[in-house]
Amino acid sequence: MLLEIKNLTVTIEGKNVLDGINLKMKKGEVQALLGPNASGKSTLCQVLLGNPKYKVKKGKILFLGKDITKLSTSGRAQRGIALAYQYPPAVEGVTLSHLLDKISAIRKSDWQNNGLRKEEFSDSFLKRAVNVNFSGGEKKMSELLQVLSLKPRLAIFDEIDSGLDLKRIKKTAEIIKKELVEQGIAVLFVTHSGDILKFLNPDLTNIMLKGKIICQQQDYKKVLRTIKRCGYEKCKKGKLPSDR
Amino acid sequence: MRNAKKVNYLQIDNTIEHIVSRPEVEVLPAAAAWQKYKWTREYFVRKPKEGYFIWLKDNSASPLLSCVSLNKKKVEQSLDNLIVIEKGVRGEMRGTCNVLKKDLAGIHQARGVVLLKEKAALDYKHFHSWGEEEIIHPSYNFILEKEARLNYLYKNVSSPKQIEIATSFRLSKGASADVKIVADCQKTTMHLRDTLVLAGDNAKGQISLRLAAREGSNVTADSEIIAEKEAKGHLDCQGLLISDKAEISLTPALVCKNKKSQITHEASIGKVSEEELHYLKTRGLTESEALKLIVNGFLEL
Repeated sequence: MLLEIKNLTVTIEGKNVLDGINLKMKKGEVQALLGPNASGKSTLCQVLLGNPKYKVKKGKILFLGKDITKLSTSGRAQRGIALAYQYPPAVEGVTLSHLLDKISAIRKSDWQNNGLRKEEFSDSFLKRAVNVNFSGGEKKMSELLQVLSLKPRLAIFDEIDSGLDLKRIKKTAEIIKKELVEQGIAVLFVTHSGDILKFLNPDLTNIMLKGKIICQQQDYKKVLRTIKRCGYEKCKKGKLPSDR
Repeated sequence: MRNAKKVNYLQIDNTIEHIVSRPEVEVLPAAAAWQKYKWTREYFVRKPKEGYFIWLKDNSASPLLSCVSLNKKKVEQSLDNLIVIEKGVRGEMRGTCNVLKKDLAGIHQARGVVLLKEKAALDYKHFHSWGEEEIIHPSYNFILEKEARLNYLYKNVSSPKQIEIATSFRLSKGASADVKIVADCQKTTMHLRDTLVLAGDNAKGQISLRLAAREGSNVTADSEIIAEKEAKGHLDCQGLLISDKAEISLTPALVCKNKKSQITHEASIGKVSEEELHYLKTRGLTESEALKLIVNGFLEL
């Protein structure tokens, strides 16, 4: 098993934000995590990367069989967990190329020869400070290139499809498919809309509501139909209401 | 210093190791310049014993390089320097003052005048790199004659025990100065005093400070722009407090003596963002690597 989250309960300022989460991912598997705003999806992403803002009250995170619940953030990244942020912070004075150089040195990767870099990134853009005045689309591409440069075993994309038009989502999905999925890298898509899923067809779709995973389904289309028709609340106890 | 032969003036402790003039630039020990050119006495604060005189008489293809180093224990340097850029001449200068070894406990004092004559232009980068025990007192006056242009960067990459820097800039009609002062302080008491006087119509000047204070540092900066004529000036003072065992005090001041002048300032002291730190750690950087990147980014101007 690549990733195993066991009965994970997480608090922030004493309040439960994740409540008994269980989730497993195999090597090379593609999964989706769907849920409404404030259901805990981004929190789970941050907890998987060890954000100290969140306290693990109960449960464990295992990665490649090892307990990483107390491992440092950089330790997790170095073991192969990479996260593309939904809202990455601006880092003044640090150019994107400098950060990519640092990542490549740590992970022994070659970002300069990545197809995405050649296709999407001009030299002048790479000289700009990380996320400073980047447009929404530029941030997504920058996050994607960083994730690829991290040579992950598990890539987590937090709302990579939000704010992108359909053409752009398709293009992004194609890159992820070619560079990660087809290379046997596990991918977890965290998405509010589910727009990207039609291009990637996940092996399993999880639904999160109020800090809990309330449903797991292999057929993402069925999940999306149910959400559209009945809302997230109807996806309960691992089962979906049957299509009419 | 690497490439010592390219250096125009190299002093180690109290000895001049290397001094090179070229057709377009005359370089002398300050004491020799005092004797040779009586006009220099107007600019030297006192009769110099050590220090350099650099006179750029024509445009130069390569930058002027000076290096003053400490190499022995408890050496005291007391320099009087004079840099002159002739009328209409454009030049670049790289000045380095540093220690070659640790634990020297030396003293470095420098009084300097940098004179940019009418329509002269100078790009001057001045680097300091000291050990933990040094005491440093540089004091520089920049005089910009009519329509002269100055880009000045002072960067303290390794801070001493104690440092007091006084820098003043006097801008004549149509002159412009872009001044950047950058310091990364650790276990340092630093006092900066910088003054920019807009003494001529249409003079334009900006001072930007980026001061980072790590554990055991006490950093104070008193910055002032004085507008005597119809001119523009801006002060941009920013501090980054890295440790709770450090202190930064920024005091920007504006003095306006002409109702048509425009002078402004901004000042802020921030801390390292936990969100940025975590973001960089998700990219595989350790805590110290991430902190270094953020601080270096803040100091980048």
